[in-house]
Amino acid sequence: MTNIILEVQDLKKYFTTAKGQLHAVDGVTFQVEKGTTLGIVGESGCGKSTTGRSILKLIEPTSGKILFNGEDITHYDKRKMRPLRTEMQIIFQDPFSSLDPRQTISQIISEPLIEHNLVKGRQAIEKRTLELMDTVGLASRLVNTYPHELDGGRRQRIGIARALAVNPQLIVCDEPVSALDVSIQAQVLNLLKKLQKDLGLTYIFITHDLAVVKYFSDNIAVMYLGQMVEKSSSDDLFKSPTHPYTQALLSAIPYPIVGKDKPERKLIKGEITSPVNLPDECRFSKRCDYTVEKCLERNPALKEISPGHFVACARVE
Amino acid sequence: MTENILEIKDLVVHYETDDGVVYAVNGISLAIGKGQTLGLVGETGAGKTTTALSILNLVPNPPGVIKSGEILLDNINMLSLPARELQNVRGKDVAMIFQDPMTALNPVMTIGEQIAESVMLHHKDFSKEDCIERAKEMLRQVGIDDSRAADYPHQLSGGMRQRVVIAIALACNPKLLIADEPTTALDVTIQAQVLALMKQLKQEFNTVMLLITHDLGVVAEVCDEVAVMYAGHIVEKGSAYDVFNHTLHPYTEGLFNSLPNLRERGEELVPIKGMMPDPMQLPTGCVFAPRCPYVMDKCRLGQPELKDHGQSHFVACIAYDSEDFKLRRNS
Repeated sequence: MTNIILEVQDLKKYFTTAKGQLHAVDGVTFQVEKGTTLGIVGESGCGKSTTGRSILKLIEPTSGKILFNGEDITHYDKRKMRPLRTEMQIIFQDPFSSLDPRQTISQIISEPLIEHNLVKGRQAIEKRTLELMDTVGLASRLVNTYPHELDGGRRQRIGIARALAVNPQLIVCDEPVSALDVSIQAQVLNLLKKLQKDLGLTYIFITHDLAVVKYFSDNIAVMYLGQMVEKSSSDDLFKSPTHPYTQALLSAIPYPIVGKDKPERKLIKGEITSPVNLPDECRFSKRCDYTVEKCLERNPALKEISPGHFVACARVE
Repeated sequence: MTENILEIKDLVVHYETDDGVVYAVNGISLAIGKGQTLGLVGETGAGKTTTALSILNLVPNPPGVIKSGEILLDNINMLSLPARELQNVRGKDVAMIFQDPMTALNPVMTIGEQIAESVMLHHKDFSKEDCIERAKEMLRQVGIDDSRAADYPHQLSGGMRQRVVIAIALACNPKLLIADEPTTALDVTIQAQVLALMKQLKQEFNTVMLLITHDLGVVAEVCDEVAVMYAGHIVEKGSAYDVFNHTLHPYTEGLFNSLPNLRERGEELVPIKGMMPDPMQLPTGCVFAPRCPYVMDKCRLGQPELKDHGQSHFVACIAYDSEDFKLRRNS
């Protein structure tokens, strides 16, 4: 039990809009074991980023519970969260807008060190900054450059170094490689993986890219319209995807294969529906090929179909 | 003369800035035959978009200068066409789809009006009603109910906006459709829908397509031919089957190795080391040499020519001067 670093219970985040309640995250429950990676996959608007940010209390959740190392942090205010900031960090998608353009790299990386009083004395701070740059593979000659002088891959490394500065246990990676070219993407993924091994980090890896998530995650949760529709170990999910949405997502991936062995594609109709004022029915029913009457009666709950493999679909009930 | 709809010959494009010359496109040659889709693949800064803009003579000048080369659309050289005639070609014979549908559409015009506008511009003999009728027909073609013709772009989702952009592009029945990263901004399930739509409409409208993308998966999905671009050079080109299954250039191999493959959960990806060279200071010799795992001394002497390696599969790599050279991927 002590191995669970993060536990989220029935997390909800509603936004009030002119049209009604927007159910961004609608009852999400999961646990993350220390040293593992949980991948959260889904398309734009499914609530994956809102989930990630709620965990860090960057967004105040509407209801539910967040336990970090057994400590209930759901109702912590900014002051109480502050010491916890050294335990949990985030890496953002866009390395262009998440770095202050008027700070040099050394200023960006050393800021958390100074802010949290982790290292004292100018020389020690300088030393630690260079150490961090070395860890993420940034040449020390870049120490006084500004973000705009660097390419996307290097900027993302700065974001990683900044997150690592406080020696966190948990890092939420929100689409960390989506803005990068494939060859650079591979470099950054390798780096994140190596850091996990060396430092025993726990990741929550938020992405829309199933190829990346498979490569990276131990467990995967698939989200659709604010809810988790399938949750299992990475191998299981790819071997036997059960929810129709998971199947559609897998089938929609353009495989870099021409000729033989190319998997058959199955398109799903329509687009993600509005998350405002949702009726009590399966949220995927409008796009699903298997919709029957039962699907429109109520929203199915997650059910364990084999050890550790959960699916929310009327077909498995 | 030939069956080629589009032919690019030795195109060289530079951006002459105050800081120096950016060598964006350095002598590339391409051709697209009837009914074909050519995929132009490469990473940021490879010169893909500059190539596309050159076709319509749209490279922003200054600082962009088309230094030399020919671009033949149905055997007419676009680069020597007077501005007036060029206007008639743009949007009519050659249409373009951009990456971001929100910036490509006018936010204060309804989508019906926007489609009708492009018809009106190129068919002076059409009445306004004809154009609007045509716009509605195009909307149906791309899978949008024509009752939405009076909607504004902000009322549509990203996938639908891209469908509207496709409708505008195809409204005048172009000979050539240039699609610059058309699905990069879309979600995977929507991307799959849009790619299927583009493939189908390309057939129906009997147009050829130049698809620019960084995503090898998308290329595999829609393209017949592939050209791989790196630092302003084409380093490999051939049929999609050959390029994917009998890869020749080390850079292409590097791209494949960087992909987190869905089929195996490998422990480590094999990225290409280093990064793309600064286009202001391209390395002497082969542009890929500084990152190439097979590099030899003679690679530093000059940029290798694109040579036929059999069955119209071209590669620019001098390693193939020796008969028994093989990439690791193929051995």
